[in-house]
Amino acid sequence: MLGIEAVGLSKTFGSLKAVEDLSLSVPDGQVLALLGPNGAGKTTTIRMLACLITPTSGTALVAGYDVLKQPALVRRSVGVLTESPSLYERLTAEENLEFFAKAYGVTDPAERRLRISHLLEILGLWERRNDRVATYSKGMRQKLAFARAILHKPPVLFLDEPTSNLDPSSARLLREEIHSMSKREGRSILLSTHRLEDVERLADRVIILRNGKLLAEGSPHEVEGRVFAGERFEVKLKAVMPEIRDRLLGVEGVKEVYVDSGAGMLNVTCESIEDVVPRVVRKLVMDGYDVLSVKEVQGSLEDAYLKLVSNDSENVRE
Amino acid sequence: MKFDNVALVFKKDWVEISRNWQVLFPVMVVPIVFSMILPLTMLNFPSQTGALGPLQGLFSNLPGTVKALFLNFDQRQVIFYMVAVYFFAPFFLIIPLIAASVIASDSFAGEKERRTIEALLATPVSDSEMFLGKMLVAFAAAMMSTLGSFIVYISVVDTISLGLFDGMLILPNLTWLLLIFLLAPTVSLASVGLTVTISARVKGFREAQQINAILIVPILVVVFGEAWIAVILGPVTIAGLVGVFVLADLLMFLLGVRLFNREEILSKMT
Repeated sequence: MLGIEAVGLSKTFGSLKAVEDLSLSVPDGQVLALLGPNGAGKTTTIRMLACLITPTSGTALVAGYDVLKQPALVRRSVGVLTESPSLYERLTAEENLEFFAKAYGVTDPAERRLRISHLLEILGLWERRNDRVATYSKGMRQKLAFARAILHKPPVLFLDEPTSNLDPSSARLLREEIHSMSKREGRSILLSTHRLEDVERLADRVIILRNGKLLAEGSPHEVEGRVFAGERFEVKLKAVMPEIRDRLLGVEGVKEVYVDSGAGMLNVTCESIEDVVPRVVRKLVMDGYDVLSVKEVQGSLEDAYLKLVSNDSENVRE
Repeated sequence: MKFDNVALVFKKDWVEISRNWQVLFPVMVVPIVFSMILPLTMLNFPSQTGALGPLQGLFSNLPGTVKALFLNFDQRQVIFYMVAVYFFAPFFLIIPLIAASVIASDSFAGEKERRTIEALLATPVSDSEMFLGKMLVAFAAAMMSTLGSFIVYISVVDTISLGLFDGMLILPNLTWLLLIFLLAPTVSLASVGLTVTISARVKGFREAQQINAILIVPILVVVFGEAWIAVILGPVTIAGLVGVFVLADLLMFLLGVRLFNREEILSKMT
């Protein structure tokens, strides 16, 4: 079953195309991460899917309901962690959760009390439950907003920057909760974030957006592979001259060479490390370079993301 | 429409307002001025001087039955009666308008400024439930303010009239009861509906207040004039006005819900 299925979603604000022809799907029990710089269209995408704004074109089913024809049913079936915590500061944490639990249809008082106390306890807010939210730190507000989003146990969750403003231990706690909701409880989660650590630890698939357009899609590993086609290794030299790049590009199997003269490093992309490393080392020694070390490099999602969003002409969508 | 959801929005806003002195202050001060300070000043002054002065115009418009009643009064009693029963009546239509304007202006605009609106709009609470819940909070505060003012006012008036009219209590009469319990609520609801609609469509509280002032002031002028006429002409005219405002209330609610647009509200979030 697909928790979220969107086809050709677009959103235009005046002359600005905030999201352009975006299609995505999130099966039950999976986490899809939306990555992209500010203004890429992540929040707009979430707002369209949560029925807060209407798509200019395209369609989407969320929890089996049509966002255009059944917005009330979609809203009932989703939990939304908004970009800002969006909490009532003059109400206490308990009052905030009470209000939203009722608004989302948790009508049984005993069930409501149980869920609220459970969430406040696991998120470390129980002792401060009767304090007004105005007295809360940013991290506490973020945790309370997260509690609000999952309070009614929705099958689909939209989480916009869930770990922002959180200290490392709280961020880990929330990541564990998100992982548990996805894998144990089978919820579909759409995660928008700038934190690549969250993506690497949580996401089954990732979509990279820029200027409202989809740049890349796949598992984090697939996206890395697509951006860095080939294998990579680093060579540490005692000293390096810039002209070495052209010489190494002539070696069979070498696809790209980056030279960091200051650090004495060469970063080589090739077809096969096993074949190319001996050839490159031989060439360097023959040209009089002192090779200090050779190390295989794993392409990181961060590298892939930065390369994608900084490259205007390249489009690696598949 | 689920009234549980209307009550939910109402209760949440009510608790928030009860903890917000910036909103509570004008709601409490205006009634005190209109029901106590102004009446004490004005009712005492003419009763001391015995001069009809600027009330001459009002006197000449009074129906014959009222003028006939005045034949049994001395000049000071006539002035006191005119000020207490007629002159101050329209103010009691102003009190709910002013009291409601602060809360109604804050309804959606305040949530936008405090960035709480997105989570509220993301809930399954429907447009009409949200709109009505917000309307009723401002309306309830306005009516509490009006009723409180009314009780204080009749206490002030009757305390003075006890001595001045040899034990006679001049308020409340039927006209005043209709004014407070029928006309004031219906006028207030129309004003609240308009202000909440404005609040949903602007960026912030101040903007909502400014537009509210521009739209409400002409209405106040009309209401003021109509109220005097209505009070002078009596219960039937008031009942007619109530009918007009009931229709206006319904139209304002329907218009407000029709204009309610979650996307536009979000786009105005600062």
